[in-house]
Amino acid sequence: MKKIVWNEIYNRLENARTAAERGLTPSHEEKKMILRARAKILAQAPKNKESTETHLKIVKFLLNGEKYAVDSAFIREVCSLKEITPLPCTPPFVLGIINVRGQILSVVDINKFFGIPGKGANVLNKTIIVHTSEMEFAIPAETITGVGYIARDEIPPLPPTLTNIRAEYLRGMTGEQFIVLDMARILSDKRIVVSEEA
Amino acid sequence: MPMQENKKETDLLKRLRSLFKIEAEERLKAMSAGLLELEKTTSIEKQTAFVEAVFREAHSLKGAARAVNMTDIETICQSLESVLAILKRKEINPSPELFDKLHNAVDTINKLLYTAAGGQVPITKLIQQLADLETGKQTSGTTTEEPIPQLQISFPADPPGHDTGIGTAGQDAPDIGERPAVSETVRISTEKLDSLLRQAEEMLSIKLALDRYVTDLQDLQDMLGRWDKECAKNHQAIRTGKDNLQFAKLLEFLDWNHNCVKLMESKVNTLIKLTENDRRSIGGNVDNFQKNIRKALMLPFSSLLATFPKMIRDLSRVQNKEVELILQGSEKEIDKRILEDMKDPFIHLLRNCVDHGIETPAEREKNKKPRCGKVTVTISQITGHKVEILVSDDGTGINLDKVKESAVKKGILSEKDYNKLSKQEALELIFQSEVSTSPIITDISGRGLGLAIVREKVEKLGGIISVETGPQTGSSFRIIIPVTLATFRGILVRAAEQLFVIPSTNVERVTRIRQEEIKTAEDKELVSLKGCAVSFVRLADVLELARQDNKDKSSGYILVLLLGTAEKRIAFAVDEIVCEQEVLVKSLGKQLPRVRNVSGATVLGSGRVVPILNIPDLLKSTLKINTSAGTVSAAETLSANKKLVLVVEDSITSRMLLKNILEASGYSVKTAVDGIEALTALKTEDFDLVVSDVEMPRMNGFELTSRMRADKKYARLPVVLVTGLDSREDRERGIDAGADAYIVKSSFDHGNLLEVIDKLI
Repeated sequence: MKKIVWNEIYNRLENARTAAERGLTPSHEEKKMILRARAKILAQAPKNKESTETHLKIVKFLLNGEKYAVDSAFIREVCSLKEITPLPCTPPFVLGIINVRGQILSVVDINKFFGIPGKGANVLNKTIIVHTSEMEFAIPAETITGVGYIARDEIPPLPPTLTNIRAEYLRGMTGEQFIVLDMARILSDKRIVVSEEA
Repeated sequence: MPMQENKKETDLLKRLRSLFKIEAEERLKAMSAGLLELEKTTSIEKQTAFVEAVFREAHSLKGAARAVNMTDIETICQSLESVLAILKRKEINPSPELFDKLHNAVDTINKLLYTAAGGQVPITKLIQQLADLETGKQTSGTTTEEPIPQLQISFPADPPGHDTGIGTAGQDAPDIGERPAVSETVRISTEKLDSLLRQAEEMLSIKLALDRYVTDLQDLQDMLGRWDKECAKNHQAIRTGKDNLQFAKLLEFLDWNHNCVKLMESKVNTLIKLTENDRRSIGGNVDNFQKNIRKALMLPFSSLLATFPKMIRDLSRVQNKEVELILQGSEKEIDKRILEDMKDPFIHLLRNCVDHGIETPAEREKNKKPRCGKVTVTISQITGHKVEILVSDDGTGINLDKVKESAVKKGILSEKDYNKLSKQEALELIFQSEVSTSPIITDISGRGLGLAIVREKVEKLGGIISVETGPQTGSSFRIIIPVTLATFRGILVRAAEQLFVIPSTNVERVTRIRQEEIKTAEDKELVSLKGCAVSFVRLADVLELARQDNKDKSSGYILVLLLGTAEKRIAFAVDEIVCEQEVLVKSLGKQLPRVRNVSGATVLGSGRVVPILNIPDLLKSTLKINTSAGTVSAAETLSANKKLVLVVEDSITSRMLLKNILEASGYSVKTAVDGIEALTALKTEDFDLVVSDVEMPRMNGFELTSRMRADKKYARLPVVLVTGLDSREDRERGIDAGADAYIVKSSFDHGNLLEVIDKLI
């Protein structure tokens, strides 16, 4: 059996104790250094970080198999979509009307407005209310996939395969292949307004 | 940090500017009203008072403008002040030209107010004109000891360091003496009031929801009662044969069961009582609250009518007519939203009066009438809920033959019926869209849409409109509208699995008929109700809904609502009549300003949204279905091929502008620089419409139009003349040449042009 060297053990314990104490309460100088280093990191201007001046804040959503994104500047609110009341004598892209805290809003299926047959009839859980001072309606969505940023002046253009009828309403496509809608254009389009007499 | 401060400052300025806008609007209104009065009055004493009033407004506005850095407005006010100061000292004589310039100044300020920060409104010319007025006085009038600048000393300008915060408020100071020191009113932005009103109206749904709760609770009460009864019965039955231990346990359970139900029953009872009480008190409160909020939003008619004297003045000056507008009863109050909706009808009617009704002074004198025509607007309260608006003129009256001719031309009236029409029936035609007595479309009128729009708006508000006319005595339009947008009663019906509300006022009768009672005559289905044969349609068909073919109605009866007015009644079949209840109309939102057959929507107690049907529309749609069965979906086939428009314009800027505007609106556009080139272009392609400038080198617009009209091939091609010439002669030249529309550039907004083109092709 090996002999226990008690002194050695005492020494090691003592060292461990001072080390532990020092670790918990660093000296004044050390504190300053650590804080300065942290401050430096925090003070650094975020590189490539999105700011509202250079970047567009977009809300991404899915609608019948299409991936879309909308400039958040045009979004009044996002809310859950309960019951849509269908409205007779309106074009097919008007899905109906909903009640948002006492205000009636129309629900516009942009796929149908663009003339694209949606892939399958999925449950529309959410709605994005888009507006300008002259126009306001709700866009239905299966899910909202999140919020992102995209550089204002370099929105990647659409791939040539997408230059169909709706191209005039689109601004480009993000890296994750979300189609960025030109909401200003859509909201001011006269063709989206239903004004018809009997 | 400095960035933030900057932002704060700009925020403040933004807020101040929006306040300034409100203030400026009021002051400008007062100024133009003052100028109008000034022009009208002949009493020296009154003149002085009006000059003084306008002067003070201009001065206050100047100060306020300086406070928010609106230098252009400040400069104009400054010049205005100087001119008014000389006018005050009677050193120049008020002349129509002077007033034109003063009005122009007020208009320019108004324009500046609505131009975005970056926008430009040229003001140098105006300032020069105003300065000329001053100097004009100095050269012609007697030289005065007191030069103009001194005058400003008597109205000391605010020191430059004077800060923005109190600047605008402080400017009210010169008005003391006119206003009571403590105002009895508080200024609240209408936006805030609107949202309050919406909330108040939303409370109606709480009231309706409570109704539902009470019924639900009552159902529960019934159920519990039945359960209790059943329990007691069985309890008794079991008690009689007690010989077994198991029965004892069962009895125990039943006893507990019994007590439990009793307890629940009493709880439900109290709940019902409470809910009922609540419903009663909340119901009363909601009604009162709504009534009061609605009252808060009542505005006097004058708040709308005040803008019209200026409009009439401008219109009549453009047309070289003399017209006086007399407003009576404009202190009557009406719901702000109704008043807003009545703005367009008023404008249409008043324009009609000036444009079609009132004759030129020469003509009037020939007919032994006073030179100056009179247009009167009289508002009178006829019942607690309704007002009558009478818009009349003492002009030539409506030419019924022209109305009938136009109706025949547009295919609304058949030649056969032309002579059969009674005077009143012929008069009714003017409310049809596309009927116009004017031979040409101008900026102001002639599109034949005005009166159709007026009637539509009035009917939408639940009002009625009628017209009377006599040759040389003028015409008068009588409108009766409700004072408040009250809730109304509606019948909730089901058709093709969907719910709809039909306003009870339009329902003459609700009844049921047997399938056999439906007769067919000339492809139309008829039913006989109380001895009268009326056409019969299914509501689902009129609304273009897929018909549900479940004819397993056990009773074999069909539910029918007789809708319409005395002359025009149609029986509509529905699947179910749910109930009659109070409903509140809400608009369908900005994207759906006008939907066929639907006038709005309402929210039920359950939170469910239900469309409200537009009965006049339904009646019209029914006629269409009956006449052309099967073409219901024809409206959906939008023209895929774009219309081709030829733009003829010598200025490159205007040409490109027109091209862009038209292309943006979905037209294909070709251009030509003058009439000759246009004629060449016409030969190469088939155009749908020509938009042409008037003044052009080589061949002008009039000549182009006449050349086209002379050629059989282009005789029917629509021509729109767009021009800077705004005179009666030119417009008549346009008519002579055969143009379909004549639009003046000065009031050249694109909406107008697009609307005209849209109408023509």
